[in-house]
Amino acid sequence: MSLVNFTAREITCKLVYYGPGRSGKTTNLQYVYGRVPEGRRGRMVSLATQTDRTLFFDFLPLELGSISGFTTKFQLYTVPGQSYYNATRKLVLQGADGVVFVADSQARRFDDNLESLQNLQDNLLSQGVDVRQLPVAFQYNKQDLPRDLILTPEEMDDALNFRAVQSFSADALHGSGVFETLRGISEQVLKRLAAGTQVA
Amino acid sequence: MRALEPWVEAPLQAFLAESAARLTLLMTSSGQVVAQHGFGRSLDVMTAAALGAGIVASTEELARLMGAPKFEALVHHGGHQSCLLAAFATPRGRWIGLVVFGQETSVGIVQLFFDQLVQQLTDSAPREQAPAPRLAENFEHELDASLRALFGR
Amino acid sequence: MSAAQVALDRVTRVPGVRGALIASSTDGLVVAEQLMDGVDGRAAAALTGSLVARLARTTAGAGLRAPVFLHLRGEGGSILAAPGTDGLVLVAVAGPEANVGLARLEMLNAAGRLG
Repeated sequence: MSLVNFTAREITCKLVYYGPGRSGKTTNLQYVYGRVPEGRRGRMVSLATQTDRTLFFDFLPLELGSISGFTTKFQLYTVPGQSYYNATRKLVLQGADGVVFVADSQARRFDDNLESLQNLQDNLLSQGVDVRQLPVAFQYNKQDLPRDLILTPEEMDDALNFRAVQSFSADALHGSGVFETLRGISEQVLKRLAAGTQVA
Repeated sequence: MRALEPWVEAPLQAFLAESAARLTLLMTSSGQVVAQHGFGRSLDVMTAAALGAGIVASTEELARLMGAPKFEALVHHGGHQSCLLAAFATPRGRWIGLVVFGQETSVGIVQLFFDQLVQQLTDSAPREQAPAPRLAENFEHELDASLRALFGR
Repeated sequence: MSAAQVALDRVTRVPGVRGALIASSTDGLVVAEQLMDGVDGRAAAALTGSLVARLARTTAGAGLRAPVFLHLRGEGGSILAAPGTDGLVLVAVAGPEANVGLARLEMLNAAGRLG
C-alpha cells in the first residue's frame, strides 16, 4: 500500500511488473535504470539464477520528482515468470499499488500470456485484492518482431484486456513504450491515491 | 533518524542508544519504510527494505511449508558487521526490523533491546488509527503537468 | 553430565545464588543456564557478556591483563562473572544474602575448566 508521509512530504508507491517468463519484465527495469539520471534512481537489485532468469525479484527504486510539493518515489519490482515460482510471485505481489502486465506479443506465447494473467488474478484474489479495483496497465512487448510472428496490439487487447484498461505497444529492449507504460501506470496509481482511497 | 509517524521516534531513539546499532530500518511487511536511522541515501533505504521484506516473507513461507512456527528472528553473522532481521506485530500491522551492528555491540544486546523496542512500539502506538489525511485538492490537477515534466513527454 | 552442567551445579549450590549461566562474551548469548524463576538469563547473558568484553578491551588498552573476576554489587544483590577460555564467561546472579566469597571460589575453579 502507498505510504504518504505528510511531515516529510513524501509519497512511496509499489509497482509490480508481472507476466510470463521471458516477456521482458526485467528488460523494462533495465531500460529505465539506464535512462534515469543517477540521482533519481537507486541501485537495481536482481535476484537471478546463474542464467539471468529472475529467481526472486528485480527491484529498482525511482524518485520521480515533486508533484504538488510531494517527493514521489516509486518502487519497481518484477516477478519471476516461470510457473513454478508462484510462491515467490505471491510474496512480491503483496502490497502492490499497481501492476504492469508485460505480455509477450509472439503468437506462440499466447497461452503463456493467458495463463500468467489468470495466475495474477488468482494470486491477487488470494490476498483479498480484486484485480478490477487495482490500477493495471498492459504492455504488449516485442512488437518489433516480424509481423507474421506476433499478434497486433488490437489482437492482444481482444485476448487479454477484457476491462479495456490502458495498454501500450512496446519494444522494451530498445526502449519503445517503456516510459509510456511507466507514465501510464504511475498516473493511475497517483490519481487513485489523490482520490483518497489508498492513503496509509 | 527519520520516522513516518512521531510516536515511533522515542522508542527507536532509545533502541539506538542502548543497542549501539549502526543502521536500523523499520518497514511494513510489504517493504515500505516506516522509520530509519543511519542510511545515507533514501533510495538505498528502499532497496534494503525490499530485500529485508523479501527475506522475511520467504523464510515465513518456508516455515509454513515445513509446518513450523514463524521464525522469530534471523541473524546473519558477518566478520565486521552483522545483521538482525525480525518481524513483529504492532497495532499498525505486521512490521519488520532490520538492524545492522558491528563489533562494538553483540547480537545478545541487539536482540535484548530489539525486544524492548517492539514492546515500546506496541505500548506507544496510538490506539485509534489517525484519520488518513487527504492530499491537497490540487494534487490531481497538478499531476498531469508534473508527469509531463518528469517523463519529458 | 557435561562440564558446563557441572560448573553450573557447583555455583548454584552456593547459598544465596539464584542462578548461574554460561554466556558467550562475543555475542552475548546464553550457552547453558540454571536459573530460578524470575531471573532473566537472556538479559544477564547479553549485558554481562557486553560488560566483560568492554572491560577486557579497557584493560588491554591500559596495558593490563584481562580481568579474571567481576563483582557488580547492587542494592538487591550482585552479578558475578568469571571469564573462561574460548570467549565463554560464567555468570552468577546472587541475592544480597549470598556467600559471595564461596561463589567466587567455585566460579574461578569452574571457569578454568570451561571451553
